[in-house]
Amino acid sequence: MSRFALIIDYESCWGCKACEVACKQENRSPDGIKLIHVSEDGPRMVGDTLDFVYQVNTCRHCVEPDCVEACPEEAITKRDDGIVILNEKECVGCGLCIDACPYHVISFNSDQGVATKCNLCHHRVDRGLLPACADAVCLAHCIYFGPPDEIEKVMEKRKASRHS
Amino acid sequence: MAEFQYCNVEREIEAYGYDSVVKSHCRMCHGGCGVLVYTKKGKVEKIAGDPDCPINHGTLCSKGLASAQLAYHPDRLTFPVKRMGPKGSGRWERISWDEALDTIAERLLHYRDTFGAESVVLGYGTGRENEAVIYRFANLFGTPNVLTAGHFCYGPRIATSIITCGTNPIVDYENHPRCIMVWGNNLVISNPDCYKGEPFSTTLDAGAKLIAVDPRLTRIAARADIWLPLRPGTDAALALGMLHVIIEEGLYDKDFVENHVHGWEPFVKRVKEYPLDRVEEITWVPAQKIRNAARLFAATKPAAIQWGVAIEQQVTCADNDRLLMILMGITGNIDVPGGQALFKPPGIRNVGHFGAHRMLPDTQREKRLGGDRFRLAGNFAIINPKCVWDAILDEKPYPVKALFFISSNPLMTRGNAAEVYRALEQVEFMAVSDFFLTPTAEMADIVLPAATWLEMDYIGDFWKRHGYILPRRKVIQVGECRSDHEMLNDLAHRVGQGEHWWETFEQALDWILEPIGITWQDFKKMDYIRGDLIYQKYETMGFSTPTRKFEIYSTVLESMGYDPLPQYREPPESPYRTPDLYRKFPYILITGRRLPGFFHTENRQVPWLRELHRDPVVEIHPDTAGKEGIQDGDWVTIESPRGRVRQKARFFAGMDPRIVSAEHGWWFPEKKDPGHGWYESNINMLTDNAYEVCDPAMGATHVRTLLCRIYPENHRGRHGL
Repeated sequence: MSRFALIIDYESCWGCKACEVACKQENRSPDGIKLIHVSEDGPRMVGDTLDFVYQVNTCRHCVEPDCVEACPEEAITKRDDGIVILNEKECVGCGLCIDACPYHVISFNSDQGVATKCNLCHHRVDRGLLPACADAVCLAHCIYFGPPDEIEKVMEKRKASRHS
Repeated sequence: MAEFQYCNVEREIEAYGYDSVVKSHCRMCHGGCGVLVYTKKGKVEKIAGDPDCPINHGTLCSKGLASAQLAYHPDRLTFPVKRMGPKGSGRWERISWDEALDTIAERLLHYRDTFGAESVVLGYGTGRENEAVIYRFANLFGTPNVLTAGHFCYGPRIATSIITCGTNPIVDYENHPRCIMVWGNNLVISNPDCYKGEPFSTTLDAGAKLIAVDPRLTRIAARADIWLPLRPGTDAALALGMLHVIIEEGLYDKDFVENHVHGWEPFVKRVKEYPLDRVEEITWVPAQKIRNAARLFAATKPAAIQWGVAIEQQVTCADNDRLLMILMGITGNIDVPGGQALFKPPGIRNVGHFGAHRMLPDTQREKRLGGDRFRLAGNFAIINPKCVWDAILDEKPYPVKALFFISSNPLMTRGNAAEVYRALEQVEFMAVSDFFLTPTAEMADIVLPAATWLEMDYIGDFWKRHGYILPRRKVIQVGECRSDHEMLNDLAHRVGQGEHWWETFEQALDWILEPIGITWQDFKKMDYIRGDLIYQKYETMGFSTPTRKFEIYSTVLESMGYDPLPQYREPPESPYRTPDLYRKFPYILITGRRLPGFFHTENRQVPWLRELHRDPVVEIHPDTAGKEGIQDGDWVTIESPRGRVRQKARFFAGMDPRIVSAEHGWWFPEKKDPGHGWYESNINMLTDNAYEVCDPAMGATHVRTLLCRIYPENHRGRHGL
């Protein structure tokens, strides 16, 4: 079991995109490249009612990441704590990881000629700081960071309270 | 998670080597959120929410997070300039502050001496915590004319709440309402006056029921227990329908009505004119849904209504506000914990006092533009913009010769932009204070570089009604930029008002705080001050109205010659009011849905915020798009009887196919010609501002609901329409 994961409670997300800008402020990714990206899903009919939700798209730090397998340069590694890191210094820009990612959350930085993705702010996590998007910015408090089983428990509890 | 703490300031400083962290108070919108500003070598490096702030609890929106990009923007105006060529030529020359302020002072005094003080109009846009100094300057100068957004934004809530129950009823999120009815508001995106999305969100997490009134399926509407997708502009009819159910089924608070309400019987008679079958016909909302919503709202205690600007930018502005207050009142939710509290501010000198309204001579007050026509507005020192444009263009009822806009971009934000342009072209002298050379500033004679919130000391939320004040602390200096407060304090001395102002603006802050026995330096050391928290004050003191009651029958409006009871008015352009026009313009256009990152016309040059939303987008139902030959992502023309603009179509199935939803506030700072594309996508090229389409009491311009047609951009060429 990974020690760390970033989990989004989609039911709570309002689509305010504060997480996108918090990420920009921290990681300074170039214009057009978003390491975390909020997108609209719907409105569409679900049963007999219209539904409309937001999706928050970012690296899932998969248990068995296809990108790690795909990278011929071994530039992507999964750490013991669960964080999948793409080391841009080792990347040659072949783009195989971009094709391999089932969630389409790896981008190509054409200025640098490298692939880029959310590294879960490991430079912060290793100093005892929360990833920028998960550090209280979200007004819905819907971005969780920590051990997945603990997050699930908190989310369940909040969900129960919401529907009480 | 034990090893991680939210907003861990010590570790943040250690990890990044910041030199300092300043607690301050953001003002990327109207203000509100406590922030932590981290600096290194005198520059802002990071901005985060302040976990100790009772308003945002550590959260912060996209605008607040991107503030440093605004402050350090390369296009920012950092010194005063004067125009060298004709208006709109874009030829500017740097001048000193002394030359700028001396010129403005000389011009203003010249017009006062020649045409009267009323020929000088000051203005601001939406409330940016500079309103108190602007009113003070205007009142002491002797002009009754301050042009703000107040006719159709927040001003109506203040005016109508004061005449109904004494002050603006604010949702008491801290005590978690059990039911929230969100009415024409998307507060999780806009964070409107007196509210932030965070406490609303937390209240829903605590299990509150949710009712959404909105023509569009926002995420709030999607999460709601009941969504009422009304025909745009029919809010008053819907509210009257709900009141009909509440009265008919006896769901109102009988004790409150009996003891604290003025005008119950005539009001009940009025409500009977709105049975649900009629209301369904007007609003397009099924009667049963209205009934269910009314029952849920009235039967759940405590309950609250989250309102905002959408209901105010309509011909039924004042009555919309009043009807929602009546819903709050007769269900027993006024001034109770978890309902709508009438919060008391700390006992400082308040905005009204600071604004020196009493110093304006009566003979000048009587000259307030539009004061005879829009009498409720006039009573609250609010004017309708068309009155100013007419006074410039036609010199009626008297000439306006000078404009001084401080944080305002009326060319983009006021109805009938083509007329605004003509007025700005014609006016003899105009000064502007802003961050950038906006389309409005490009028409000025002198433009002053305004400070952002990072560059000023001020008492944050001074003007709000939620009961808190919070220190805004200066962190940086950018170029020669000055806060509007310091600028006006200086200008006041140059026009002979010096005796009513201060040597430094810090002394003004001391004066505001003096009644509670502290100075600005003391306040700077505090996190916030809150007024006394007392509920149900009306039980002992009554309401602060002429009858001491909650006036659902307004004696004030009656004395001004208006209908004392609220009523529904059909929008000026609609399928029913103007059926012939509807055949030619077969869609209802709604304007101004809120977008993350932007605040009306602001922030389109801030990279992190523009990246959230690149282009002006018009939402269109896929069925309608199919009929009109429009593909998702096409640039389309939106046309009203008054003009045409271009926006980019996006399919959106979450509204009636007869509705089209466009964005407001769009100009293009990246276009380097002095017009910056102000008319291309500006929704106010389509809106009307005739007096007849304004709310009769408040003068609110009806910019939210009109009729339009929509077609692919190349259609005109192809079909020769």
